[in-house]
Amino acid sequence: MPNLSVPRKCTKLAAAAGLNFLLALICQASGSPSFVSFLTEKQNDPAEAHLQQGLRLAQAGELQSAEGELRTAVRLKPDNAEFLSSLATVLAIEEKFDESTSLFEKALKSGPSDLRSRRHLAANLWQLRRYAEAKQNLIIILKVDPADSQAKLLLGMVSEKSGDHATAVTMLESVPDLVRRQPEAVVALAKSYYRTGERIKAADSLRALANGPLKAQGALLGAQVACDMQDYETAETLLSAIPAEFSDAAAARYCLAVVKFHTKQYQQSEQILQRLISAGQKNGEILRLLGWCYHKTNRDEDAIRTFRDAVELNPTDERNFLDLGGLLLEQRKFAAALELANRSVNAFPASADALVLLGSIELATERFTDALKTYSRSLSLDLNNAEGILGLARAQAGAGMGDHARRTLDEAIRRFPGRAPFEVELALLLLKESENGDSNSQTRTEELLQAAAKHDPTLAEAQFQLGELALRRGQTALAIVHLENAVRISPESARAHFALARGYRRAGRAEEAEKETVLFEKFKKGDAPGATSSPSNVPPNE
Amino acid sequence: MSEHRSTDGCRSVVRAVARCFLATVLSGTCFNPLCDSEAQRVAPEARQIFMDVTDQAGITWRRFAGESPDRFLIETMGGGAAFLDLDGDGLLDIFFVNGGETPRGKSSSPVRNALYRNLGNGKFEDLAAKAGVDRIGFYGMGVAVADFDNDGFPDLYVTGFPFSALFHNNRDGTFTDVTEQAGVKNAERWAASAAWFDFDRDGLLDLVVTNYAQFSFADEKKCEIGGVRAYCAQTSYIGMPLTLFHNEGNGRFTDVSVHSGMAKLVGRALGVVAVDVNEDGWTDLFVARDASANLLLINQKDGTFQDVGSEAEVAYDAAGVAKAGMGVDAGDVNEDGRPDFVVTNFNDQYHSLLVGAGSGPYDDQTVASGLARLTKKFVGWGAHYIDFDNDGNLDLLIVNGHINQAIESTRMDVKYKQPPLLLRNDGNTAFRDMRERAGKVFQSNYSARGLAIGDWNNDGRADAVFTCLNGPPVLLKNISEPENSWIGFELQGTTSNRDAIGAKITIEADRRRLVRWMTGGSSYLSSHDKRVLVGLGPVSASSNLRAEIRWPNGNVQRLTELKPNRYYHVVEARPAP
Repeated sequence: MPNLSVPRKCTKLAAAAGLNFLLALICQASGSPSFVSFLTEKQNDPAEAHLQQGLRLAQAGELQSAEGELRTAVRLKPDNAEFLSSLATVLAIEEKFDESTSLFEKALKSGPSDLRSRRHLAANLWQLRRYAEAKQNLIIILKVDPADSQAKLLLGMVSEKSGDHATAVTMLESVPDLVRRQPEAVVALAKSYYRTGERIKAADSLRALANGPLKAQGALLGAQVACDMQDYETAETLLSAIPAEFSDAAAARYCLAVVKFHTKQYQQSEQILQRLISAGQKNGEILRLLGWCYHKTNRDEDAIRTFRDAVELNPTDERNFLDLGGLLLEQRKFAAALELANRSVNAFPASADALVLLGSIELATERFTDALKTYSRSLSLDLNNAEGILGLARAQAGAGMGDHARRTLDEAIRRFPGRAPFEVELALLLLKESENGDSNSQTRTEELLQAAAKHDPTLAEAQFQLGELALRRGQTALAIVHLENAVRISPESARAHFALARGYRRAGRAEEAEKETVLFEKFKKGDAPGATSSPSNVPPNE
Repeated sequence: MSEHRSTDGCRSVVRAVARCFLATVLSGTCFNPLCDSEAQRVAPEARQIFMDVTDQAGITWRRFAGESPDRFLIETMGGGAAFLDLDGDGLLDIFFVNGGETPRGKSSSPVRNALYRNLGNGKFEDLAAKAGVDRIGFYGMGVAVADFDNDGFPDLYVTGFPFSALFHNNRDGTFTDVTEQAGVKNAERWAASAAWFDFDRDGLLDLVVTNYAQFSFADEKKCEIGGVRAYCAQTSYIGMPLTLFHNEGNGRFTDVSVHSGMAKLVGRALGVVAVDVNEDGWTDLFVARDASANLLLINQKDGTFQDVGSEAEVAYDAAGVAKAGMGVDAGDVNEDGRPDFVVTNFNDQYHSLLVGAGSGPYDDQTVASGLARLTKKFVGWGAHYIDFDNDGNLDLLIVNGHINQAIESTRMDVKYKQPPLLLRNDGNTAFRDMRERAGKVFQSNYSARGLAIGDWNNDGRADAVFTCLNGPPVLLKNISEPENSWIGFELQGTTSNRDAIGAKITIEADRRRLVRWMTGGSSYLSSHDKRVLVGLGPVSASSNLRAEIRWPNGNVQRLTELKPNRYYHVVEARPAP
């Protein structure tokens, strides 16, 4: 099943803020005295003349002309570090990051002690999401100049992006003035606070955004971040501070609808979205969230219709296809899901997620050999796509290629240590094999499940399977512990309730067993047409 | 002294052979010129357990399923077979239920059932037309055989869509369709398996009918696998309640489905076995249902039944999923005196082994017994316990076959046609696949469905017959080495129903206690030898055996000084005035 892209981000402010940050970094450097003095030296040399002209044009904002002059200068003196660095800087401002990066790297080969160029290179690499390389360069800078505040700021940003939140907090806290001036830095700090458990500090940072020069825009950005980090209370507080006359009020309302959705206030979310649509704000994102509201309130036909509208309104947004496809799959409307998935693959040929959706449908209809090919294609586009890896393993197992499936999952665990879904999937595969007589699998199965539970305590499946294993061994008390966890994590899981009922029954707790049985009956898919069926069965086409 | 009469093993027209046979049956071996010649003919396969004797037996009937481009699910679900002694000559005859035509699945010749009379020499003759049971006005599914009027001759209930039919045995080789006057038409229903049993212990057999799903040939469900038209999932069809008919004793039945509580139990029911589950002397029911929860219906002794499937943990698998239950049988697989159930399911679900644990829930030993490993790739239908080697341990015979030919385009390990399985119980409720020794049939692939068990050549070794979707059935003869002893019982009720369905027999042999039941129904769409054949293991021919029979009406009868390797015809002793 593909990751259904429930809307989390309220706006695209974050991306825009990132570019602004880079420009600010470069412009600050460009305005430095050393840069200005550069202008007056060596004017008799033709290459120098082109350089000087290029710099003057750059300062005047005529970047294209500046680029032309600087290219000429570099052509005349291709190994001159300063020429290379200047051209690279202008290219960075023009967002030609790849070429800019290689020019900075060339410049640094000639002049490795040029901290400014190295800092700009790091900024480029951050922009290009090459965080490890960015980090390397920043560490070099800080070794030479531990007080380099720009480098600290950038290292904080890079660390946040690469998941090293503790370093991000340390670095960003050390340059508070710089952080305050850069919304993206504030966002990075807030996210790192969230991820290191400092929710209050995170909320304070985001509130500072709202109180800063960005005002309402800052509040909206802060709300978006808070929402993203599941701090819905802070998000709602920030949104409530945005005045009605705010120029991007629609974005704020949408963000509020997202918050309401995630706090299970589906009706309120729906109302906000309907009002936005009535006010002429209909777009794919709004329709998708509305579709999700319908889904959550068991109006799946309305949800499907709304998701379809989103696709038709914005056929270039892949998320519309993925959400619709995911719901059709969940509803077992396989023919429609398949048609949509194929359309999605054709529309987004470079998308691994589109292929994952297609593969999921093929898996659900037990077309394992087709699913094998599809998932393999998805991984050729994105080797790190977790759903793709899981899907491939399931397709391999389904097609009777158990050995291959095991290898796929073993490799995934090796490459992504601590990723509980891979551990659980391998455990399930080994469980099946042990049912088929391979008793060597049982020990490893339990180890994997224990590891998965430790790596992700919110993974109901690990708790459920541990409970099942304990039940089989007659360890009823232990089974009940695990199964109660499973039910707590996933209260609408029919089989968790079923298994817990079995545990209670064995423990002589008949009344509790009966309650769990009632819950099982409530949540299981019934005998109605289209309900969960046994494998190798094909539901009818619509 | 209880009244009983021993029955010779082989009743042959050739009396000299019979006498020879009688002499040798006491020594536990089967020997007569016919057997000898057969043994010589089969010498190269002497180590095999079963031999396909369909052609030799003269069985030429073929099933017609009405397969069509429309892919109606009913085309892939039937049909049944029954062993019965239609004329009381001591030889088991065979009845086959045919399918039928569908709107675009027409037959070039009339679709007929077959009733093969056992001629006693390994040959059979089709008398269906003469008997009046060859044609039915509906799509045939299964058959349940029993003497519903206690006149000593078995009658036939043939199930199907959109109704079913009851044929009364006229005792002269013919049958009369008495459906309407009996009131057992079960109209507007797609009926699958049926079971005769006496739920109120009035000495008359009642009838439970499993109904599968709401269905119509006008239904335009269309499904595909990989772009190829396929049969739709069973969950595309809404289930139906069971039907329970009470035998009023005058050739009439009353539909008591509502009163009994069965009318509320809606699901896709396919298999049923009637057996006393809780040892209270009243016959209960296990109903196997397809992607609906299995039912364990406990007889409340007041005409009603209570479903305890959930509490007994037989309704779903461990994950709370209702498996695709098709066939079912009950037998004491671990010699604890309690009935255990085997239920056939779809591939990847495993055929289930549910072992009775007394008062608590059933113990799902599907994995522990090896059944999971052995049945993973198969879609199972008819299933029956069979002690093929008479060692006293109940083995399993299961027939398989997928429903969609297109499965082979999506799976490398599951085939459309599948082999039957002979699984030997090693005595610890651990099963072993006997494929290598079972016979060529077990290394061949079929679209098998119904399975009936019976000792049709009266040699004390259980034989079998199974049907195939679109083609000839397979009649199997057990030719295993007769290394162990056996004993057989043909029970005749007097105050209990004449067929003694619901009886429990406990045999004591060499410190071993073997329990068997005279069940109603079981397997899939099929009906079995009314005799109870019990393998005894290496008990010597001179051993004295004891047996206790608990009759369906509760009477208990004890038999002593029984000898192995013979059938006993036991008549229920009437209670003293």
